[in-house]
Amino acid sequence: MSVEEQVIESAKQGKLLTHKCTNCGYLHLSTAYYCLKCGSKGFEDVLLEGTGTIATYTIITVAPAGFEKYTPYAFVVMLLDNSQLRISGFMAGIATPADLPVGIKAKITGFDERGIIIEKQ
Amino acid sequence: MEKVCVLGAGSTKYGKLSDSIADITTQASVAAIESAGIGPKDIKASYISNVFGVADRQVHIGPVLMSRLGIPERPSLSIESACGSGSVAFREAFANIAAGFYDCLLATGVEKVTHTGTEWTTTYFAYCSDFFYEGQAGASFPGLFASMARAYLTEFDATEEDFAKVAVKNHDNGLLNPKAHMHKKITVDDVMKSAVVASPLKLFDCCPFSDGASSVILCSEKFAKEHGGDYIEVIGSGRGGSPAALQGREQLTTIPSTKIASEAAYKMAGLTPKDIDFAEVHDCFTIAEVVDTEDLGFFEKGQGVQAVREDRTKLNSDISINPSGGLKSKGHPIGATGIGQVVEVYDQLTGKAGERTVKDAKIGLTHNFGATGASCAVHIFQSV
Repeated sequence: MSVEEQVIESAKQGKLLTHKCTNCGYLHLSTAYYCLKCGSKGFEDVLLEGTGTIATYTIITVAPAGFEKYTPYAFVVMLLDNSQLRISGFMAGIATPADLPVGIKAKITGFDERGIIIEKQ
Repeated sequence: MEKVCVLGAGSTKYGKLSDSIADITTQASVAAIESAGIGPKDIKASYISNVFGVADRQVHIGPVLMSRLGIPERPSLSIESACGSGSVAFREAFANIAAGFYDCLLATGVEKVTHTGTEWTTTYFAYCSDFFYEGQAGASFPGLFASMARAYLTEFDATEEDFAKVAVKNHDNGLLNPKAHMHKKITVDDVMKSAVVASPLKLFDCCPFSDGASSVILCSEKFAKEHGGDYIEVIGSGRGGSPAALQGREQLTTIPSTKIASEAAYKMAGLTPKDIDFAEVHDCFTIAEVVDTEDLGFFEKGQGVQAVREDRTKLNSDISINPSGGLKSKGHPIGATGIGQVVEVYDQLTGKAGERTVKDAKIGLTHNFGATGASCAVHIFQSV
């Protein structure tokens, strides 16, 4: 499986596959091939629970092709629990900012043609 | 290192143009050649920035341009770095003259996309994001900058009206620029009532999709002196990068590549942000201009909106930001924008900017980035 396919499979389980540097311990998304901090190549797979809090987001009304039927929807950036890592994803059913306060709890729930799917907890 | 000068500059009008991409590329280049007072055979090579040539059925534009200029045997290089392509083409030409490889080069940027319509452009521009994480999850470019805007509103004392003031200012400046795409005076109320594109950004927070081409002639100081005419010096040049996806950045309200590129440019020039008289910055969205002016060191982090509120970035105030009207009002033909900024600086520093002249300006800065600032180049110029 390619690196991206592994991310997709883990998202379908509600998890996030990450890479922990075996040299310095820094945690990355699993698409990293070399450590951001020390440059070394050895990684240990760490499967995180796909839970976190919304760091920022937007509600999209003018959508790229393929997404028109989902508008309005949110593109969200989520800070993972117990980590400095953030992950982006698609969140359905968000129409106004009142629907999604920054800091609210959310989780990865799948992957489909809308990318990584994130829902409110 | 050879001292590098800009000897001539030219642009087409920005907006919705009917001529082909090859035509507008040539029109801008001829304008630059004539502005420089040289002939095409003085040009040893060219650097051509363009992103979506495929939209007008012409990629590999360089050789087409060189053929039309009567110098088909001279080399050209096409450069893509998303919305930051122009400043990278400029940088490559700068570096080649500085290194002594050439004494006179052409850098031309071009984009022709408005005929494709909003859906095509929204879709294809999203391919400039880190697609696996962002575009694939439905992020548009307005959406990515809207995410930065939401983070800024959350973190700092800022309002959507503050962002709207940036658009109002740039439209005011654009009214004084005959080549600007948008000649339209707007109010904060107009911005606030315009349709939401990606909340909290509304239509008038966003720059338009534009067609256009811009071109400059770069040369060694020796060449500039021998050929007479007005020229300016390039005294600083820097490039930088950021994590491609917003999620990977330490702060969601800072663009690291801007800091890296500008610090390198200031260092080369031996200047600090206080020495800059005016700047053309990458205001693809109103939030971007606020963040840019902080990352470039003009204001403290979180204070960019305060400066906007106090009108400190208006034409001929503390620091004139985007006297041309910026991407917001002058327009954003993405492959041309970075070169177009240099055209504005050339016009400003050689007394050709008309009503929008920044008074007594000696030092100008250009700041242009690709995507959400994943790549960036900054240049600093001085009048002679």
